[in-house]
This record gives sequence, structure tokens and C-alpha cells, in this order.
Amino acid sequence: MEATGLSLVTVVLFLPLIGFAIMLFMNERTQAGAIRWTALGFSVLTFLLSLGLWALYNPDDPGLQLVQRINWLPDYGISYYVGVDGLSLLLVILTTFIMPVAILASFRSHIFEERGREKLYYLFMMLLEWAMIGVFVVQDLVIFYVFWEVTLVPMYFLIGIWGAEQRIYAAVKFFLYTMAGSILMLLAILYVGINAGTFALPEIIAAIQTGALSFPFDGLFSTQGLLFLGFLIAFAIKVPIWPLHSWLPDAHVQAPTAGSIILAGVLLKMGTYGIVRFCLPLFPEASVAWAPTIATLGVIGIIYGAWVSYAQRDMKKLVAYSSVSHLGFVVVGIFALNAAGIEGGILQMVNHGVSTGGLFLIVGMLYERRHTKAMEAFGGVWKALPLFGAVSLVIVLSSMGLPGLNSFVGEFTILMGTLGSNILGFVFALFATLGVILAAVYMLYFYQKVYMGELDKEEIRNLEPLHWSEKAALVPVLIAIFLIGLQPAPFFRSMDASVDALVRHVDESVPEVVVGNLQMPE
Amino acid sequence: MQLPSLSELNLGLTVPALSLALWACILLVIDLFIPRDRKSVTAWLAAGGVVFAFIANLLVYRDPGVAFMGLFVADEFAGFLNIVVLLTAFIAILMSVDYLKRTGIERGEYYVLLLMTTSGIMFMNSANDLAVVFIALELLSIPLYVLAAFRAPEERSEEAGLKYFILGAFASAFFVFGAALIYGATGSSSLPVIVDAVGRALAGEGSSLLLLLMGSGLILAGLGFKVAVVPFHMWTPDVYEGAPTPVTAFMSVGAKVGGFAALLRILLVALPALTVAEGDAVAGWQTATWVVAALTLILGNIVAISQTNIKRLLAYSSIAHAGYVLMAVAAAGTPGVSDQATRAALIYLMAYMFTNLGAFAVAMAIEKDDGSGTSLDDFKGLGRSRPLLAAIMAVFMLSLTGIPLTAGFVGKWVVFQATIEAGLYTLAVIGVLTSVISAFYYVRVIVNMFLEDGEGDPAAAATPYVQWAIYLTFAGTLVLGIIPSLVTNLSGPVALAVASLVP
Amino acid sequence: MEFNIHSIVFLIFSVITLGGGLGTVTSRNLIHGAVYLIVSLFGVAGLFILLSAPFLAAIQVLVYIGAIAILIIFAVMLTRSMTRMTEIYNRQWSLSLVVSALLFVLLLVGIILPVWGPGTANAALQPSELVATTVDLGVAFVDGNQFVLPFEVASLLLTAAMIGAIVIARDRD
Repeated sequence: MEATGLSLVTVVLFLPLIGFAIMLFMNERTQAGAIRWTALGFSVLTFLLSLGLWALYNPDDPGLQLVQRINWLPDYGISYYVGVDGLSLLLVILTTFIMPVAILASFRSHIFEERGREKLYYLFMMLLEWAMIGVFVVQDLVIFYVFWEVTLVPMYFLIGIWGAEQRIYAAVKFFLYTMAGSILMLLAILYVGINAGTFALPEIIAAIQTGALSFPFDGLFSTQGLLFLGFLIAFAIKVPIWPLHSWLPDAHVQAPTAGSIILAGVLLKMGTYGIVRFCLPLFPEASVAWAPTIATLGVIGIIYGAWVSYAQRDMKKLVAYSSVSHLGFVVVGIFALNAAGIEGGILQMVNHGVSTGGLFLIVGMLYERRHTKAMEAFGGVWKALPLFGAVSLVIVLSSMGLPGLNSFVGEFTILMGTLGSNILGFVFALFATLGVILAAVYMLYFYQKVYMGELDKEEIRNLEPLHWSEKAALVPVLIAIFLIGLQPAPFFRSMDASVDALVRHVDESVPEVVVGNLQMPE
Repeated sequence: MQLPSLSELNLGLTVPALSLALWACILLVIDLFIPRDRKSVTAWLAAGGVVFAFIANLLVYRDPGVAFMGLFVADEFAGFLNIVVLLTAFIAILMSVDYLKRTGIERGEYYVLLLMTTSGIMFMNSANDLAVVFIALELLSIPLYVLAAFRAPEERSEEAGLKYFILGAFASAFFVFGAALIYGATGSSSLPVIVDAVGRALAGEGSSLLLLLMGSGLILAGLGFKVAVVPFHMWTPDVYEGAPTPVTAFMSVGAKVGGFAALLRILLVALPALTVAEGDAVAGWQTATWVVAALTLILGNIVAISQTNIKRLLAYSSIAHAGYVLMAVAAAGTPGVSDQATRAALIYLMAYMFTNLGAFAVAMAIEKDDGSGTSLDDFKGLGRSRPLLAAIMAVFMLSLTGIPLTAGFVGKWVVFQATIEAGLYTLAVIGVLTSVISAFYYVRVIVNMFLEDGEGDPAAAATPYVQWAIYLTFAGTLVLGIIPSLVTNLSGPVALAVASLVP
Repeated sequence: MEFNIHSIVFLIFSVITLGGGLGTVTSRNLIHGAVYLIVSLFGVAGLFILLSAPFLAAIQVLVYIGAIAILIIFAVMLTRSMTRMTEIYNRQWSLSLVVSALLFVLLLVGIILPVWGPGTANAALQPSELVATTVDLGVAFVDGNQFVLPFEVASLLLTAAMIGAIVIARDRD
């Protein structure tokens, strides 16, 4: 499976960087429009090519596909090693899907009137896209860490330069939190790589499967347990798993609209993806042993996030805390450690990216018009802008998990997986369900406060209609919501083989606990 | 008496270091004929000497050997560090040309002294005998004392020179005493001979073992002063702040390179048998360097947080970075890891050289003629008034933090890898946690540049040579970060150990 | 160690050296300090003779006492105001006292134990019987087998120090 020819994955990965290089030489004053369109053009092109990945991808092969490998530091066993499999394919597409939406959402933003530096903004967007795709396609632990850290830098500047009033505090908090977590992962990566003699993930997993490599495990805090934690804490901060979430509301509230969309849409998924990609296959025993604890934290996150969301009067905070709740679901699904749970988890990552990205999009549009994020300032928006109101309703319902829309499929599968899991079981499913109900409460509350009611406010009556770029940003979100909601089968099909292989690997490594292999509902 | 012939001395191997010293002496005379207002000619002549030494060093690099019957080793270890030092000197000269002119201290002796101290460091890289180490250490230090005080009537510079001189003299005394004790215990000052005597001492009654330990402890302290590790770091902030900025930049890298070169060579060639405590109450140098590294990392990084002046901040950060190199030294104490750890230390020094010199060059670019303008507040709004400079500074800061795709990451990476391979997990965790702490103050510089609005005049444009220095270091930082194999290949054959290791 | 004429002389010179040193750092008058320094340096010269190094002893007297100490006294006298200075600059002397006392004890233990400690009589290095002459020293400095490199570098060092001293001392323009 070694390949040295140019892979489409590499093309998709470096396309944003080419856009970056081109934009670098454009003039901010005379070519502002061109910069915008170049950014949009490259992100759309990247998206189209990433669909090509899906077309070339063979869903029956559980292993890595479209692989490319080039030595980077051969003395240290580090190589540029990329490819996609069922675990990462959808997330790559999610990334390339979210980016044009985020860029379109920035087209008419007032932030450039206040802060200027539009070119820098789009440069960081391109850099961010490159790094995020890198996180999902890279198969070498060190290069993964490189991309993981590099995502920090543009996001830090996006929040810090174009954010709201307390942007500096939020940006620094975001940076330090994430760095603190990831640097422990660096140590764990070093330990794993030194013992394995290579940093290439597939080779390490193969060595674990053949028994050539094993990390001693006899308890939660044994060597393997600590290594697992080293990785998990980095991911948990990114997800964020309760109680490591406190950077998220600040970052979300202060970030510009596009920043929030990307943060919710993609960056948080890097955490859950990391758990599936690294924690489970590298440390199967520790994963099984820690699963109940982590899943409990996930459940606490579901309830806590929902509860705090309900208490918010600030729209962005509400959506931010709802992310904590939704990602709790994903965590529970992953640690059900069966096919249904993990596939549901991955699909739910995509769903959350689309729905919450959409929520931040509409909140951003409201904010653009009223320059406030407080819910009291709105009311009756439906009557002023009926089309916008209808689109918003779809997104809100999607976030609630209404059957027929995307999130329902993911949440339902996760609940199935949790119920069928030998590790978690009924109680976890029960509390998770409670989260679904609470989600309906706070989302409907939000919708009622902002969109319903009489048109008694002058400013609302005069709300500016949607700009074409805003409409263009909303359309793909709606398409994705309905597509996944009505036709989930191809999405699951793309993951089946890889997830089965992963579950089997965990199963075989921990023979005493039969984690089961619940099949997907069709 | 049979005197060795000239060819037996292998003088060719010493050309890089000797040529630089000789050129310094010649330059001293040439400088007399250079009119006062054209002293930049001296600078270019000095830079030419550095380039010559650099080329000579590259020629010697792949053909290692021993000169002066064992006193002087020209191996890859020395060759690699010579590259680092010569680059440092070259960049320091670039930084100095305009700076000296605009601050009114332009004198030809400056470059002569700079070349002298550079050659001292190169002798130190190659020294294979305690006597040579000591003399080279002095040749390194004395010109630096003078350079630190080069703005002399100015109070802070005088203070810097005096402080550095007194504490440096102390450090030298420590070193000499340590060397004397080791001589007393082993009967030789030659590193490869000492190793056998140490073996005998360990095997025998253990009588001179205590002397050896005292000696190596004092040597550790003496060199610890030079590389500024806790608890021998007190002088650093004041000296770094008071000295002219190019001098600070030079000594923050050069003195460390020399110190670590001597430290590694003495510990690994002469005292490898004393690494770890075996059974009895003998504390090996691995433990000592371990503890010192941990203290240095913690203190350097924590105190740096509260600094408000970029030069002081970089001073504390340089203390912290000495701690990371010392991590590699500690790791080198584990048999079997020593080659890898040595390489890690060298790669770290190279990465640190580019990044730190660059950061100082930027600091200098915004410094005013009277030496003020180096507080962190002066960086406010730089992202708007001087976007390119600010962006480059941001990369330097990220590199000092150790963010990937910069040289700093590669350096930290190899050091952590060596530390973990050596089994020093606690030290690795300390190193990692203090890296997070360091992010706090490095990021604050970035915050000030891009996220805060500046008041007052925007910084003046950097003068052309300083710009070249900045571009050069910037390129080094990025290239080393993106294509690290260039440097790891170069350091590939580096190994520091005599073949006959005593168990 | 047995008590012989050798050890009595050693004790006397040690007392002179240490006493002189103590006087140097404790006396508040700079002139007195300089004189104590001469005493101390003289004691060191005596120790060199005991160690069979007459040339070093001569150098010690000629250079350190004859040149450096006298230079110091000249310098002190030329800067008259300094001769009456009696302030104590260092406010951390108590801390320094503790640290230096600890260091002293450590060194004492480190040096005495190996040489006179239990079971070390045979392991201690025997003092050299060779009396180093000026010729030996000179050969050692220029012999390629011995110390020609440090000797040459030392000359560089002195050049550097001289340049430095001039740079620091000369008038600004």
C-alpha cells in the first residue's frame, strides 16, 4: 500500500496553501475583491476535489487509501504519510465543506470596516484550512502533531484580531489551554514512537496487532493508561469534554462569525476524531478500562451543556454551550466501543459541524444587523424576514434532532450503540436521551424568543434582507441537512469497513470484554 | 628530547580557529589606517574573516582528526558548533554595523574583540584538555566583558560589563579549582587520559573519587555560570539589558555554545563513568544536571512572565533555553543515548541560534538610538505600522515557544526525544510543562504587536544590514523547521565518546 | 601525618596566606587591604617553594607582589577619595556567609577525606620528587607534545585583554 506517486489527498491538502501563496502577492487596497474571490474559489475547488476523494474511495477496503509517503526525517522514523480511510473521509469533506460557507459568511462582515486587514484574514483562513485537512489526513504521529499545533496559530489570530471586545483574553485562553493539552500528547507520541521505532500510525497498529509491540497495562494508571490519558487530555480539551470546556464559551463568543463556524464545525471534531484515530487503536485495553469514566464525563457534558444553554441570554453563548452538549453525545457514542456507537459518533461529528455551523451562521447574520447578541433585542424576525425565519427553523430543528433531518440519524445510532454496548448500557442511554429532550427545550426557547412574537420593535421591522452571499452560504447547509437526514446510507457505507476493522482490533486486544458488534439500522 | 615535527601537529585542522584569531590581530593593525567615518570597512573585513573561517571549517568538517598531539580535536562535534558560532558572529556583525554608528560607539576594536571571542569559542569547541578549555574559556570571556561595557560612559552598560566581569571571574575561578582537583585525582589534564584514571579510581579504593566528584561539580558550576543556568544565572538579566544589543545577541548564543561544548566534552569524554549513582552514595553528574536543568526550566520560564522589557525577557528566556539544552546533557548521561542526546543538544543550539538572534535583531530594529524603546509596550501596534517586521517577530516568538514548522519545534523535539529515550520521564514532563508556561510570555509579544493598538510614534524603519540579519535568521528558522533533515544529516556523524569506556 | 620540619613550615605559610586573605576582605581601609594582600601572596610563594616549584615562587614574588600589588596600591593612592571609603556595599553578607561556609566545609571534606581519610594512605598520590626548573617549564610551553597550544592561546588572550583595557580606559571623543 506504499505509494510514492502524487496522491489526490496531497492535492486536496496543499490546494489551500497554493491559494495562500497567490493571495500573499495581492494588493490589499486595490484588489480586495479579488482576494475574497480567490479565497472562495480555492475553498470551493478544494471541496470539489475532496468529493473526488469520495469517488475514488473504495468503501470495502478498511485500510488507508490514496496513500502517499515521503521521508521527512528518516533518522528519526518520521515521514510525510497521508491517506484517507472510513474514519477520516467524511471529516475531510466536512472541512472542505465548511470553509466556503465560512468564507461566504465573511463577505459582507462589518468587521473589516472596524479592523481592516482583510487580506490577512483570508490568508489565515487558507492557512487554517490547510492545517485542518492536514490533521485529518496525516498518518504519522509527529506530522499529525505538527498540523494539530499549526491550527492553533491562525485561529488564535482570527479570534485575537477580528473578535469582539474581550478578544485578547479569549484568544490567549484558547491558545494556552489547547497548547497545555497538546504538549502532553507530544510526550506520549514520543514514548510511543520511540518504543515502536517508527511514527507511522498504521505500522504501529500493525505491530500491536501482531504482538510485536505492546504497552503494559494493569490498571487505569499503568503505562498504557497514562499514555492513553496523554492523548486523551489533548483531545478532551479540544472536544471539549466536561470539565475541560471553559475556554470554549469565551472563544466562541469572542470569535468573528466565520471563526465560530470553523471552531464549531471543524476544530472541535479534531478532538473526537483524535480519540477514534489514536486512542482506541493504540491503547485498546486502556480505552476499554477508561470507557465508563470518559462516557460518564460525556453524559455530564450532555446534561450540563444543555442546562447552561438554557440559562443563556446571549445567542452565541447558547449555541456554544449546546456544542458541549452535542459533543458529549459523540464521546458517549465513541466509548460505546461498538460499530454503531462509533459510526454514529463520526456521523454526528459531521452533523454537528453542519447544524451548529449553520446556527452560528444565522446568529452571525442577526448580529450583523443589530450589533447585539442578546436575545431580548430580537423578536418577530419571522415576520420581518419570513424566508430567513424558515431557513433558521430548519437549522434549529436539525440541531434538536428532528427525525428526517441529519442530527436525528446520528443521535439515534449513538443511542442504539450505547444501549447495545456491553460497557455502557441502559443508564447511559437514558441520560443521553434526557439531553435530547433538553436540547429541544433550549433550542425552541431560542427560536421563540428571537423569531416569534409581535413585530413591535422598529429595528426589527427594518431588518435588512439577506445579501446574496448570505443566501449562498445558507443553501449548502440546508442541502447537507436534508441529504444526510434522508439518505444516511451512503455515509454509513463509507465508514463500515474501517470502523468494523477498528472494533475488531479493540475486541481482539481485549478478549475478556466482548464489546459486541451491533449492526447498523438501514 | 624529540620535538614533534610540524606535520605531526596537524596544523591544518586548527586553521578555522587560528585563522580567525590571527585575522583579528591583523585587523587591529589595518584598522589604524581606516578613517574614523568609514569604520564599516572594518566590519566587512571582519565578516570576511568569518566567512573564510566558515569555509575552512567546512573543509575540515568531513575529515576529522587530532591536532597538537591530542590537545585539539577537530571532529564533527566541534565542526558543527563552529558552524553555529561562525553564523552567530556573522549575523552579529551584520547587526552591529548600523547600530554602532547610530548609537555613536563605532570603533574598530569592537570587531577585533568580536573575532577574538569567536575564536575563543571555537577553541573551546575543540579543546581536549582541561588547560586548553580554561584558556579558551578566558579568551571567550574577556573580550565579552569589554564588549558588554562598550557603551561605557552609559551607566547600564558599565554596570553590565562590571557585573559580567566580576561574576565571570568567579566562574573561571571555580572552573580552575575544579580542573585542579581533577588533575589532582587523576594526574592528567587530558580528557582521554582522565577517563582511564577515573576508571581506576572507580575500581580501586575510591579514594580520589571524592576529589573527582568535587572537581567535576566545580567545573559544572563554572561552566554553569557561562551558560547561565540556575542557580548561576543572576547576572544574566542585568548584563543582557545593559550591554549593547548586538553584543547581547552574540553572547546569548555564543557563550552558551562554548560553555555547552566544553560541558559535553568534559562530561562525555572524560567523566562518562561518573554518570549515574551506582549503589553507594555517589551522586553522578546525570542527577546533578537533571536537577539543575529542572530548576533552570522552572525558574527561567516563570520569572520571564513578569518581564516588561524585551531584552530582559529574552534574557530569562535564554536561561530557560539553556535548561532545554541541559536536558539533553542530562540525557547524554544514560549510556547508549549519549550520541543521540549530543546531537539533540547541537540541533537545539542551532535552532536556538537562528531564532534568538532574529528576535534580538527585531528588538534592535525598534530600539531607539539612546538604547530605550525596548519595553514590551513599544511593540504595541507594530503589526499595523510595520507588518512584515511584526510577522517575522511573531514567527520567532512561535519558534521560541516550539510551535511546529519552526526551528524551535525541531530543537525541542529532538531534545524531548533524547530525554525520553534516556528514561528521564519526569524531566521530560517538566520540560513540556514549562514550554506551556513559556507560551504565555512569548504570545504576549504577539498580542502586543497585532492585537493592541500602539500609541506614540511608529518604530523607525530598520536599517538595511539589520534587515539582512533579520531575513537571514528568519530563513534559517523556517528552513530548519520545514526541512530539518538538512541539519540532522549534518549532525549525523556527531559522536562524543572515547572508544574505551570503562564500565 | 607525621610532624616534621616540612609540616611546620607548611603551617606557618598557610597561616600567613589565610590570615592575609582574611585581612584583605575584612579591613575597611583599602591601603590596609592591599598590604594584607601582599602578605597573602607572599605566603603563597612560600607554599610554592614547599611544592618544589622555585620558579613559580619567584614569579609569584616578582609579578604578583612586585608588580600587581604595587599597581593596586598606586591605583588606590591616585584615587584618593577611595582610600577613606569604609562603607559596606553588600547588604547580603549574612547570606553570603552561610553559603561560603557551606561551600568551604564541602571542599574541606572533599579534599581532606580523599587524601587523609580512612584506608587511603596508599591510594593518595605521592608528591612529585622532581624539582621543576625554568628549563622544564619553558620546554613544556613550546613542546608540541605538551602545552604549546594553551601557551599560544594565552598570548592571544593577553592581547585581547590589553585591547579591552585600552578600549575601556581611553578617553571618549
